[in-house]
Amino acid sequence: MIVTYNWIKEFVDCDLPAAELSHLLTMLGLEVERMEEVGGGMDDVVVAQVVERNLHPNADKLSLCKVDDGSGGELLSIVCGAQNFKAGDKVALAKIGATLPGDFKIKRSKIRGEESFGMLCSERELALSEESSGIMILPEDFKLGMPLFDALGTKDVIFEIGLTPNRADCLSVVGVAREIAAKLGKKVHYPGLEVNETGAPIASIAQVAINAPDLCPRYTARHITGCTLAPSPTWLANRLRDAGIRSINNIVDVTNYVLLEYGHPLHAFDFKLLSGGKIVVAAAGEGEQFHTLDGQERTLSASDLTIRDGEKAVALAGIMGGGNSEINDATTEVLLESAYFNPSAIRRTSKRLGIHTESSHRFERGTDVAGLTRALDRAAQLIAELSGGKIAKGVIDVYPEPIAPRTIPARLARINAVSGLSLTAAEVQEMFERLEFQVTETEPGVFKVQVPLFRVDLEREIDLVEEVVRLNGFEKVQATLPQASVLSDLPSPQLRLGSRIKDLLVSHGLSEVINYSFVAPTSCEKILLAEDDFRRKGVPLLNPISDELSVMRTTLLPGLLETAVKNINFRTLDLRIFEMRRIYIPSETNDLGLPDEPMCLAALFTGRRDPEGWNQAKGNIDFFDVKGVVESILEELNIGGVNYVADELDPYFHPGKACRVKSGNRELGSFGELHPSVQENYGIDQPLYYLELNFEKLIGCRKDMGSAQVPSRFPSTFRDIAMLLPDTTPAAEILASVKSVKADELEGVELFDLYTGGNIPKGEKSIAIRVRYGSKERTLTDDEVTKLHQRVIATLQKKLNVSFR
Amino acid sequence: MKEKLEGLLKDALAELAAASTEAGLQELRVKYLGKKGELTAVMKGLGGLTPEERPVIGQVVNTVKGQLEEAFDSRASLIREQVKNERLANERIDVTLPGRRSVTGSKHPITLVTEEICSIFSALGFGVAEGPEIEHDFYNFEALNFPKDHPARDMQDTFFVAENVLLRTHTSPVQVRTMLKQPPPVRIIAPGTVYRCDSDATHSPMFHQVEGLMVDKGITFGDLKGILTLFTSQLFGSDIGVRLRPSFFPFTEPSAEVDIACVICRGKGCRVCKETGWLEILGAGMVDPEVYRHVGYDAEQYTGFAFGMGIERIAMLKYGIADMRLLFENDLRFLKQF
Repeated sequence: MIVTYNWIKEFVDCDLPAAELSHLLTMLGLEVERMEEVGGGMDDVVVAQVVERNLHPNADKLSLCKVDDGSGGELLSIVCGAQNFKAGDKVALAKIGATLPGDFKIKRSKIRGEESFGMLCSERELALSEESSGIMILPEDFKLGMPLFDALGTKDVIFEIGLTPNRADCLSVVGVAREIAAKLGKKVHYPGLEVNETGAPIASIAQVAINAPDLCPRYTARHITGCTLAPSPTWLANRLRDAGIRSINNIVDVTNYVLLEYGHPLHAFDFKLLSGGKIVVAAAGEGEQFHTLDGQERTLSASDLTIRDGEKAVALAGIMGGGNSEINDATTEVLLESAYFNPSAIRRTSKRLGIHTESSHRFERGTDVAGLTRALDRAAQLIAELSGGKIAKGVIDVYPEPIAPRTIPARLARINAVSGLSLTAAEVQEMFERLEFQVTETEPGVFKVQVPLFRVDLEREIDLVEEVVRLNGFEKVQATLPQASVLSDLPSPQLRLGSRIKDLLVSHGLSEVINYSFVAPTSCEKILLAEDDFRRKGVPLLNPISDELSVMRTTLLPGLLETAVKNINFRTLDLRIFEMRRIYIPSETNDLGLPDEPMCLAALFTGRRDPEGWNQAKGNIDFFDVKGVVESILEELNIGGVNYVADELDPYFHPGKACRVKSGNRELGSFGELHPSVQENYGIDQPLYYLELNFEKLIGCRKDMGSAQVPSRFPSTFRDIAMLLPDTTPAAEILASVKSVKADELEGVELFDLYTGGNIPKGEKSIAIRVRYGSKERTLTDDEVTKLHQRVIATLQKKLNVSFR
Repeated sequence: MKEKLEGLLKDALAELAAASTEAGLQELRVKYLGKKGELTAVMKGLGGLTPEERPVIGQVVNTVKGQLEEAFDSRASLIREQVKNERLANERIDVTLPGRRSVTGSKHPITLVTEEICSIFSALGFGVAEGPEIEHDFYNFEALNFPKDHPARDMQDTFFVAENVLLRTHTSPVQVRTMLKQPPPVRIIAPGTVYRCDSDATHSPMFHQVEGLMVDKGITFGDLKGILTLFTSQLFGSDIGVRLRPSFFPFTEPSAEVDIACVICRGKGCRVCKETGWLEILGAGMVDPEVYRHVGYDAEQYTGFAFGMGIERIAMLKYGIADMRLLFENDLRFLKQF
């Protein structure tokens, strides 16, 4: 919504500096998003007079002029390329030192050997219009030497206001002026509207009927004849321009001008094109075709309200006129409409047809049913003045059931209780009155407040509370701290542990990423999901931004892969990334039709294990780096009974280098190297490792850590065992065999070497383990350790097909 | 005998004084004090002495032995000291070579800011609540007083999944879910992911909010101002100016936009604050009675406030990020800074 200061001043006395007015509006809830001074800052552009115009000695198309800048000094020599002027013309001169729009600085210059002390300007060079075919020729009575914009009287300030949808009443200059007046305690002066009715009585010319009074409670019209279509005068065109509306002609422009001024949309019909000279407000026929004046063919439905003549639809009520009755070059007779339409009805039609106009914008927010005749009178009078037309006597006003203004009860105690203010009844009453409300205090501290019909946003007591706090000023409310009950609600385990696991991953060198929750439907294929995989049935969006972002993800893998691709393209080849966020799985049991949204943890690894560096270990990330991360997560959560199972893998894994993680019989997730085809599908040529864990299940399996263990005060002893085993014997079996020796002194076992090839026979592997022995009571003797160690060796021998080296 | 011993001592001390390495010193030690050394040889000769001479010479032997050992020890420590000093004088590394690093990770700035906000409100006694991202129209709009066919719905461009199922456009539905679950008093914040069909330098189709709700007896608009002033000073520093100005949200009344003094220019006016000196960071207001009606709270008895803020906006201000898209591009060169 754009208003200008000069226009506002026509309705309220206000001499605040523009910046202060801007602040005042913002603090009233009318946020000024942009403030721009027009015609300001160019005092070096002045009214000047061409005294001589001579040909430039060195250029056919240039003139060399003598110009009087009104300063009383010498005449200025100026070179000019325009042809549309003569000696004696008053012109706009940009003097040396002036800065024109576009940051164009005027300097003393030499053009084809002749010095020029300034520039004669076109309208376009001064950003006054697009006109650039010649320099501006100013009226003869303009005072020589006066700054041009003072002479033109076009200095103004534009305020662009970001209005909230409740303030329909401020979608106009008058509306904004009303707010300023209320805040400053002044009165809005509505200009007296005299309508010069010189035509025939309107009843003898036109008839109006409303067939759908619920959708159109009121319809008024005036008739003007003998109009001559012409371009609008500059003042009118300029105001429309400042508001961002293109000037068309003196009739259409008036309807737009009054719309901006009073906030009430009007429509002008070419009366001669209305069959039977009548207007019927009625629903459209289902499937009816209608040509709106923007040239589009629209298919209407029975819920759309139309304005019709004797035969056909001539306008889509409150939204846009029809091509069949619009003002055109031959128009001489105008029927001017000012009506009130049901906001919801306008919104439904406007949304369904996708037409948003200045008119629909206002009608769907609610217009002033009482004030619409004021707009009608103002427009009729202006059209008559500008086009030379005659206004018919009287107004058609069909208003079968007049709408009464609302009366809302309000309690002083409530106002103070909600706001924290301590206002008196008198203060509140005075504020209501400034807002043009009619107030009676029925008992002490209890008001009956009648609000004007233009305030469509006020219905309840709380709305009036807001009005008081707003007008009084939010800044006057003291900041206090609540006197409230003690409450303490610790974050859920999910939230606390989620944060801890993130910290743990970060300590393992992983960086958190956040991908969009929506993915491309093709991502399921790229990660090799089977046709009947449940993850192919993600929740699709009805109105996605693009096909690439059209389905709610069912797995975090595609997002992480896309992120890897992006980073690898930037030559970040070493990646450890994780994402801990929700996936969306359709649910058959949810009453509201909402899907399940389990929290998932997924990570992707690729590239070198250590940072590159002169002294860093070389080597790439592999399965066991990922497993190490899994192990430390499980350890952090004290999850026991963990198995790593290498079968029934998801199709995106390498079948021989991945596994599932289970705790007892509960599936926690899986990890491993990604399938080479997945890698190919994403165009990545380095092995990728992926891990996914079901966060909710992890939390479900979690155990509290229990009592802390006191470490032994006596030193432990280590013994190593090197052995040869069949290649197929899992390491877990070896370690489990050692642990199966029941002895308190067996403190732990570690697998510290694995070797195949070389001198190891084919089909076998060499494994070395280190067993730790110790006691809490004393230092074990060599003999005791040897005895225990023999038991361990015997157990290994018995349980496994092992030979010692 | 005695002369022989004294001569031995003199020779040994002289040789000792000339020894300059630990190896040389060891050789001398063997030569004089070893099992086959000269002193041992002399001691072996003690047997041939008279019983009268034996204690006298024996004492001399012990004295000489003691002197020798002391001399050896002090020479040894001197040499060790010299060797150490020499080593220290020669050992030099290039301390400007880069250190040995392990890979470092990072939390996403959105997570960092969310955690910071949650911890501030946690300290004020606010619990943390969550709700679904794919939400029913009732919770996202209807119960929050956004009637169907109302222009207020245009404020939030919505992604739809079905006629009444949508991607939540704000975290406010968690307010409704929480109030339907429990009677007042309520004091929660609700962080979460939200969606709107909008995509440019300052809008992302997916972004994050933190919602706050406090309902109790006697809560005022002044309390809202107090809590938010406290919060912004914790987040941005105690001297940051805060201003509330009237706005509109269907589910609060009075409604306010909350501005803080521009963290870039400290209120003087700059490009980031569009020369206003203020930055909008929060929407807030007193819970609208219509919302209480939907959740079955008594609006005469209870009042309360709600507020909501965009995490991206705050992260951008905190870390000086100009383009919101950076937060979702997942470029590790960017993310590793946090």
